[in-house]
Amino acid sequence: MSPLKVEVRIQSNDFDIEMEIENLRLDLANIGAIVTFCGLVREFECNEAGRNLDVLSKLILEHYPGMTEKCIEDIVKEAANKWNIEGVIVVHRVGTLNPNEKIVFVGVASAHRLEAFRAAEFIMDYLKVHATLWKKIVINGEQKWIEPKSSDHIKFQSWSD
Amino acid sequence: MSSKGIFRLLFFGRLRDISHNIDENQAIKDEIRSIKDLTSWLDAKDPVLGKELVKPFVLVSVNKNIVKNDYIISEGDEVAFLPPVTGG
Repeated sequence: MSPLKVEVRIQSNDFDIEMEIENLRLDLANIGAIVTFCGLVREFECNEAGRNLDVLSKLILEHYPGMTEKCIEDIVKEAANKWNIEGVIVVHRVGTLNPNEKIVFVGVASAHRLEAFRAAEFIMDYLKVHATLWKKIVINGEQKWIEPKSSDHIKFQSWSD
Repeated sequence: MSSKGIFRLLFFGRLRDISHNIDENQAIKDEIRSIKDLTSWLDAKDPVLGKELVKPFVLVSVNKNIVKNDYIISEGDEVAFLPPVTGG
């Protein structure tokens, strides 16, 4: 088995999904599936019930340089222990973002689709509750740190059930 | 026994906003040896911050690895208080 190809980047710049997919495919043999996820900045801040509350003007993302990358690399390694995957790219943006901008990209390549689907979902669920990233929203000129969602923790827990 | 070792103290997210009066460079001393000591010392210095540090899901890392309360701080360590994460 070839070694797992892993690329984790934290950046303020936008990313190009097509380029990330090409980058993921590069030098990988026997790839039958690529599953990708892209997270976007919502235009509305929602409560836990999903009801729209306020129109969001900006999203500010902060990270812990060095540790965030390490957290995500550990998550990818754990996914690779669970499923046969050949390559993973995770890109997470930080800094100030506008509504509808891209925040996060997860791409997983594998021989068969099921492994890539599972691993991509697992990496996102794990990232939500373990990667050292913090979101602050700006609404009507006021800044507010986002509270963690219990639904994210419940979803993550479901992997160990 | 006292040590003059200096360590770095960082706060992230909402904790950074309320910790501006805490110096980044701190000295290891008799009342600050473990993470638990450090939390108590910060609470005595600033109860508003102290209250936030002991809330559920606040984690502490040393040199970018999560540690427990009984970790003994060494000279040159980078200690960080991490509020609940909200990335993705």
